[in-house]
Amino acid sequence: MRRKLPIFVLAVLVALATAGIAAATNGGLTPVQPESPNASHTLTAYWVIVGFTAVIFFLVEGLLVAFIWKYRSRGRGRDVEGPQVHGHSRLEVIWTVIPVLILCAIGTVVFLELPKIDAAPASANPIQVTVEGHQFYWQFDYPNGARSINTLYVPVGQVVDLKVIATDVIHSWWIPALGGKIQAIPGQVNHTWFMAEKAGTYEGQCAELCGVYHASMLGSVVAESQSAYDGYVGKYAAATIGEQEFVGVCATCHGNLGQGGYGPNIASNSLLVQVAGLRRILQYGESGPLGAMPPVGDTWNSAQIDALIAYVKKSIYKSAPTGGTP
Amino acid sequence: MTTRSEAVYPVGWKNGRVASWLVTVDHKRIGILYIGTSIFFFALAGLLAILMRAQLTTPGEHFLTKNSYNEVMTMHGTTMVFLVVVPIMAGFGNFLVPLMIGARDMAFPRLNALSYWLFLLGGIVLWLSWFSSGGAPHAGWWSYPTLSEAMPWASPGHGQDYWILAIHILTLSSVLGAINFIVTIHNMRTAGMTWMRMPLFVWAMETYSILLILAMPAISAAVTLLLLDRQAGTHFFIPGHGGSLLLYQHMFWFFGHPEVYIMVLPAFGMISEILPVFSRKPIFGYKAVAFSTLAIAFFSMLVWAHHMFTTGMGVGLDGFFMISSMVIAVPTGIKIFNWLATTWRGNLQFDSPMLFSLGFLAMFTFGGLTGIFLAAFPVDWQLNDSYFIVAHFHYVAFGGIVFALFAGLYYWWPKMFGRMLDERLAKLSFWIMFVGFNMTFLPMHMLGLLGMARRVYTYHHGGLWTVYNSISTAGGVLTAISVAIFVANIWITHGLRKGARVGNDPWLADTLEWYTTSPPPAHNFDSVPYVTSARPLRDLRRRLAEDAT
Repeated sequence: MRRKLPIFVLAVLVALATAGIAAATNGGLTPVQPESPNASHTLTAYWVIVGFTAVIFFLVEGLLVAFIWKYRSRGRGRDVEGPQVHGHSRLEVIWTVIPVLILCAIGTVVFLELPKIDAAPASANPIQVTVEGHQFYWQFDYPNGARSINTLYVPVGQVVDLKVIATDVIHSWWIPALGGKIQAIPGQVNHTWFMAEKAGTYEGQCAELCGVYHASMLGSVVAESQSAYDGYVGKYAAATIGEQEFVGVCATCHGNLGQGGYGPNIASNSLLVQVAGLRRILQYGESGPLGAMPPVGDTWNSAQIDALIAYVKKSIYKSAPTGGTP
Repeated sequence: MTTRSEAVYPVGWKNGRVASWLVTVDHKRIGILYIGTSIFFFALAGLLAILMRAQLTTPGEHFLTKNSYNEVMTMHGTTMVFLVVVPIMAGFGNFLVPLMIGARDMAFPRLNALSYWLFLLGGIVLWLSWFSSGGAPHAGWWSYPTLSEAMPWASPGHGQDYWILAIHILTLSSVLGAINFIVTIHNMRTAGMTWMRMPLFVWAMETYSILLILAMPAISAAVTLLLLDRQAGTHFFIPGHGGSLLLYQHMFWFFGHPEVYIMVLPAFGMISEILPVFSRKPIFGYKAVAFSTLAIAFFSMLVWAHHMFTTGMGVGLDGFFMISSMVIAVPTGIKIFNWLATTWRGNLQFDSPMLFSLGFLAMFTFGGLTGIFLAAFPVDWQLNDSYFIVAHFHYVAFGGIVFALFAGLYYWWPKMFGRMLDERLAKLSFWIMFVGFNMTFLPMHMLGLLGMARRVYTYHHGGLWTVYNSISTAGGVLTAISVAIFVANIWITHGLRKGARVGNDPWLADTLEWYTTSPPPAHNFDSVPYVTSARPLRDLRRRLAEDAT
C-alpha cells in the first residue's frame, strides 16, 4: 500500500493530463469558443490564470508526491522521529511573498483586460435591446418596438447593448460564446453587451435558479446579416410573435399542442380565445388545485395578446365538443 | 451485619443505557452525539446527491421530477452545510477541546447539551418539511427571494417556512455552542498551556466560534425578514413595493462566506494535528499556521460579495471584492506550504488518518486554485452559476472538509471508543473515495466551461455533456460505496467486536487527549502534566526515556 500511494497519485495525475490534452480544442478545458470581443478577452484572462495556477498546482502536487515517495517510512518504526524542524522564517516569508506577487500579476492582468470585457468599443453605435427574464422565457425588445421571445436576432459585427430586467424572480442572462452572465433582478436594471463576430446561432441558458422550469429556460442569439436583421425586426418579428409566444411561453407547461403536461390541457379551453379572460390570466397568473401559473404575460401589450389569440385560433384551439364559439 | 441485595450506589434511571445519553452533560458524550447525528444526516444528504446524479446521468432523464429535483437539491445543500459540516465540527470540538486543553469539561455543560438538542431539533424540523404542504423547500440553499417568497408561482407551500424555522433553531444552537467554546478555551486551559502552546485544532475552534458569533446573526436577520414577508405581509424583498432583492443577497453572503471558513478552519485544524503525528515531526511554523487561521477569519468577513459578481454591482465593488478574495489566498497558501514542509524529511506513516490528510492536501490545493478563477470577476462572469462553481466548492467542501473529517474520525476513533477501526477497510475506503470523488467532481469543471448551468434538473446536449455527466454519476456511486465501507467498518469494529483495543496513545501523538485512557473517564484526567510546549506528550515520552537510561 505504501508503495502504491505515489504511483497511484502519479497515475491519476497523468491520466488527468492525458484526458485533458485529448479533450483539448475545447472539450471543456476552457470556456467555449468566444465569438464576441468581451468573451475573447475573458478567455485571455482565463489563460493567464491557467498559466499561473498550473505552475502552483504542479509545484505543490509534485512536491507532495515527491515527499510522499522520498520520506515514506520504509519500515522505520513509529518511534523514529524525523528532524525536529520547527520552522524557517526566511522560507516562510518567501512562500508568503511569492503568492502575493503572483496574485498581483493576476490582478493586474484582470484589470488590464477589464475595460475590453466590461465596456463596449467606444466608437460603436450600439443597438439597444431590452432583455426581460420571465418564468420561463426571455423576451427581447428591439429599438423599433418589435419583440421576440427566446431568440434574439442581431446583425453580425454590431455592438448590441443589453438592458437586462425581470419582473418575477431573479434570472441570469448567459450566452457563453458571447460573454459572461448578468443577473436579471426584479427592481433593478443591469447592463451588458456583446458583438457577434460571425454569423450563427449561439445558445445559452438561464443561469440563476428561477423555479421548476429553470432548466428549460434556454435563450439563443441568432447573428445574421444587416439586411436579414432589418427584415426580421421590420416585419417578421411582428408576424410571428403569436407563434413565438405560444411555443416559447405557453408550450413549456401546456405542451406544444396545448395538450397539457406540467400544466393542464388547454387545447379546448375557451379562455384561450376570450380577450379579457386571457389578458387577466396572463397578467395575474392563476393558482389552481394543480399548482400556480405565473403571470407570464404581465408586460405584454394588446397587439401581443391579439397575436397570441390569432395563433391559437389557427393552430391550437379545438373547440369543445359541446360547441363553444371562438 | 446486614447484606444488601441492591447496589450500594443505587442505579437511577439516569444511568440507563439509553437514558444516560439523553440526560448527559458530559462533553465527550455530547461530542459523540453530535458526530453520530451528523454522520446520519451525511448519509441522508449523500443519498440525495446520488438521486441528483442519477437524474443527470444522461440527457432528458425522468428519474426525478423537476419539482422534486429542486427539493432534493435544496435539501442536499442545506443539510450538508447546517446539519453535517458545522455540527460535526462542533462535535469534534466538544469531544476534543476540553481534552486537548486538559480541562474536565466544557465551561457550561448544560448549555452544551442544549446546543446539541437544538441541533437535533433543527434537523428534525428541516427534514419534516418533506411532509409539509407543498413539499420540501425548493429555492436552493440560499433561498433567494423572490423565489422563496410566498407568491403562488414562487414558494407558496410551508416547506420554506420549515426551512426558516430550522435555520433559526440551528443558528441559536451554533451561537450557544460558540460562546461555550470561547469561554472554555479562554478560561480552562491547564497550567502551562499558553496561547502559543495550544493545539492548532483548539486555535481553529476558537476562530470557528468567533466567526459563528459574527456571521450567524446576519442569516438570522435575513431569514426573519423573509419570514415576515411570507407571513406578516411585509415587503422587505418584494421590489414592486420598495423591497430589495440585493439586500437579501448581501445579508445571506455576509453570513455565507464566513460560513465557508466556519466549516473549513476546523478541518485545517485537524490536518494540522494529524500531519505532524504521522510525519513524526513538529508542525512546520506553528505561529504561521495559528496566525494564518486568524488572518483567514478576518478576511473572510470582507469577501462576501464575490458571490454576487453577476448582480451588476459595478466594477468598483467588484474590484474591491476581487482583491480581498485574492488576499485570503495568501494565508491559505501559507498553510498549504507549511503542511508540505511538515512532511519534508519526515518518517511518513501511511495509516488511514495520514492517507486522508494527504488526500485533503492534494484536493484542497486544487479547489483553492480554481477559486482564483472565480475571484477574478470578469472570468467569474463566465464561470459563476455554472457547474464549474459546483466543482470548485465540492473540491473544497468534499475534497477538503470531508476528507479531513474522515482523517479526524479514523485518528480520534480509538480515543472516543477505545477500539481501532480496521485499517485495511479504512485504506480501501480511502482509495475508492479518492478515485470516486475525482471522477464525480473533476468532469464538472468541464461541464461548467461547456456551458452547463448549475441547478438544472436536466439538459438536452449529447456528446461530451453526456460523457462527463455519466463519469460523474459513476464517481458518485463509487463515493457512496466508500462511505458504505466506512459504516461497515464501524459495525465490524463494534458490532462484531473485531476492533483491537488500544491503550492511551496508539499513534504516539503529541497532545493531551492522548494522556488519558481510551475512552477517557467521565472526569477526563486524574492529573494533568504541567505543559511546557505545544507537544506535552512528546515531552513526557522523552522524559520517560531519559529517566530509563
